[in-house]
Amino acid sequence: MTANEEALMWVEKYRPKTFNEVVGLADIVESLQAFMRNPKTMPHLMFAGVPGTGKTTLALVIAHTLYGANWRSFTLELNASDERGIDTVRDRIKDFSRYSRTGFGGDIPFALIILDECDQMTGPAQTALRRIMEIGSRTSRFILICNQSSKIIEPIQSRCAIFRFSRVDKQAMKQHLLDVAEKEGYTLVPEAADRLVDFAEGDLRHAINALQTASAYKEGVIDEKTVLLVIGEASPSQVQKMIRKALYGDFMEARKTMYDIMGSFGFSGTEIIRQVQREIFKMSDLTAEQKANLSGVIGEYDYRLTQGANSDIQLSALLAQFAKFGKDIEESYAGAN
Amino acid sequence: MTIVLNGKGFKLPRVEKEKFVNLIHLGLDYDRNAGLFSIKSYNNIEKVIDAVSDILKDDVVFLQSCIRCGKDFSCRGCNYIDLCTTKNLPFSCVCSQCLKDRKNFETYLTQF
Amino acid sequence: MQAQTDLLWVEKYRPKKIDDITGNDEAKALFLEWLKNKRHTKKAVLLYGPPGVGKTALVLSASRELGFSVIEMNASDTRSEKAINAIAKPATSYKALDNFTENAKVSGNVLFLDEVDGIAGNEDRGGVNAILKIIEASLVPIIMAANDPDIEKLRPLKKECLLIRFQQVRIPLIIALLQKICLLEHITAEFEALERIAQNSKGDVRSAINDLQSLSEENHRLSLQDTMMLTSRNKDISMDETLRRYFSTQNIAETSTMLAFSSVDYDDFLLSISDNLPKRYTDLTELAKAYDYISHADLFRGRIGTENWHLLKYFYNALAEASAVNPQSYKPFTFVTPPIRIITLFWTKGKRTMLDTICGKIGAQCHVSHKTAKHDFVPYIRAILQKKPKSPLVVWFKFTPEEVDFLTKMSRY
Repeated sequence: MTANEEALMWVEKYRPKTFNEVVGLADIVESLQAFMRNPKTMPHLMFAGVPGTGKTTLALVIAHTLYGANWRSFTLELNASDERGIDTVRDRIKDFSRYSRTGFGGDIPFALIILDECDQMTGPAQTALRRIMEIGSRTSRFILICNQSSKIIEPIQSRCAIFRFSRVDKQAMKQHLLDVAEKEGYTLVPEAADRLVDFAEGDLRHAINALQTASAYKEGVIDEKTVLLVIGEASPSQVQKMIRKALYGDFMEARKTMYDIMGSFGFSGTEIIRQVQREIFKMSDLTAEQKANLSGVIGEYDYRLTQGANSDIQLSALLAQFAKFGKDIEESYAGAN
Repeated sequence: MTIVLNGKGFKLPRVEKEKFVNLIHLGLDYDRNAGLFSIKSYNNIEKVIDAVSDILKDDVVFLQSCIRCGKDFSCRGCNYIDLCTTKNLPFSCVCSQCLKDRKNFETYLTQF
Repeated sequence: MQAQTDLLWVEKYRPKKIDDITGNDEAKALFLEWLKNKRHTKKAVLLYGPPGVGKTALVLSASRELGFSVIEMNASDTRSEKAINAIAKPATSYKALDNFTENAKVSGNVLFLDEVDGIAGNEDRGGVNAILKIIEASLVPIIMAANDPDIEKLRPLKKECLLIRFQQVRIPLIIALLQKICLLEHITAEFEALERIAQNSKGDVRSAINDLQSLSEENHRLSLQDTMMLTSRNKDISMDETLRRYFSTQNIAETSTMLAFSSVDYDDFLLSISDNLPKRYTDLTELAKAYDYISHADLFRGRIGTENWHLLKYFYNALAEASAVNPQSYKPFTFVTPPIRIITLFWTKGKRTMLDTICGKIGAQCHVSHKTAKHDFVPYIRAILQKKPKSPLVVWFKFTPEEVDFLTKMSRY
């Protein structure tokens, strides 16, 4: 692993720069390398999958591989959620296309445009994007990154080669964590590594960030206790705590946790509800059917949040529904016995 | 571009009588010798701002004076601006340096 | 009871001199100018503005400092023409206020009518007229004070007075005052705690001092954590009463009627109901149902916005349904005010902007969006900086000192 010595966040420092450094994703890497051998054949790409599974990393690896050290001159990185609308996106792409020079230092006939979080774009915005992609096709290739490809309109999907990224394998993640810790001069205790892997649920970014945080707590040896401390304070854990308290009927405590989250992380109502949706699926003590039912309720309140005036009221109401849900389950178990 | 004025004395371009009378009516004073307007009554301060803004054809804010160090400062950058019902109006206040400076505060207290 | 009131800081630190009054310097100046002007254009002055900002304090301290006597009358106590005349009439024959300089002791009197907006509707129609007559006949200057001068019935009065407006006292001024009291009372207080009290006070100096006393007197210390006990100011007694009737209602019709005739602020009311719903409904099925209705009420409130008032009936309907999910299960309870109001106070636009800027810096270095930075990076970076404030990450991300300060203190909302 070659480290980017300038970068101080470990997720950046140990981000793979070449295909060789990428662990796992063998099939995807193989296909992409075929394109690299003959770049003119490379179509627009779509990387879809849950967060922290290597999509941005691979897009940047492609950039490195195609353009070498000056890759920044030939690559435009955009986040659909940060830009104020499709017009800003269009303008930035237009400006970029005007100034990028292709062919300098290589014979790659196009520049690279990496557009992250495309599934956050509205339907009309995506339609406009499709046209932008068409117009730019001669001089640019797009790499579209998203969590759910189903949210991308069909005309765009049909213009891309779609690659699906799945959760990082637990063993691979554990190994990576141990490697990074060692390179940074820490000893990561295996049990601590296991806790990190469980917490991350396939999201490598969270795992590494948590590891780096733990290293700030203690010199030398990173033990299980420190890791649990870090994990406990992280927002996914807080959100899970809030959900659990609600499901187990302690509404007041659940609501208190909700206030803590809003206060100490500054998350808006919508952000918390999205996290609730994410965390529900990670919870192993719920059955698939229960998750689906809860998901429906969450969706309903997600919608209401956008229409209503007060997020804390809608969130409290959601927690109340959870509490009732939990009570009903408990009563049905009691009834069955 | 927002124009920043000092409520204790500021200049305005020449305006027709009707507008001038309105300004006086709203609570401004005019010093003929210095050619400066100043704010006498604050009862209609919001209307004063609107009128001045209209004359200068731009947004107008006023400086505050610090009751501790005496200097004039602007509301920009104040931590409490979202909660302030009198923001950008020329009332007395405490500048953020004075508020946080303990030594300054103790010197101020010795006046009592 | 003399001894007891001395223990109250609002009494102990009541302004004795005009200069002691915090804030509203401009109103002070106008008032003094009016007092000193022998040939008043107006015999009466109306001081108006929110409570606790120094209207009464100005009148009393000016009288103390300059030496004139104040005949005080609370207009909301005496509500008829007869009663006002009985007290005020004699005043009209008192000696008028002499012109005075700062040094001269003066004799003379003023009549002070506090809370003139307390003259209620129909029964006291005479009240406003009586005051008008007194103003006309009086040889003595008249000072009046009101919280809300925009009541229709006060219009005749306003024409006869010089109006002097008082504003909410600014937060830095309140903090400065609290700092002074802390020094004199030997209280060690965190700056952020005083900030919080000032922010919560809505410009009311009196309530800020009360809050300071109640939170810090016992231990002579005040931390930010202690201020979580601050409740948001429910100045309106009728809110508590309305809430009580709301929760103890017997049926939907009863609630609907009550809501139609109440004058509480819709938004405050809705929030207070939501705050207290779990205390009303301890059964989780009832709670879920009630909250569903409240959620709908909130939806309607959102749709009404500032103009679609024809939708108000749906809002009220939903509230009424929520109140009557199960009238039988009502048991009296004490109201709570969760810290959500304080949290909203903390997360101002300025703070959100700062957080967004920080996320932008993180995103630029780590190739992520602002949103991802906020969820997947900020909590960790914050923890790292709390342990190691001088971490090289600060330089790498190009965080300003304010941003570092914000990050490390973020969790101490």
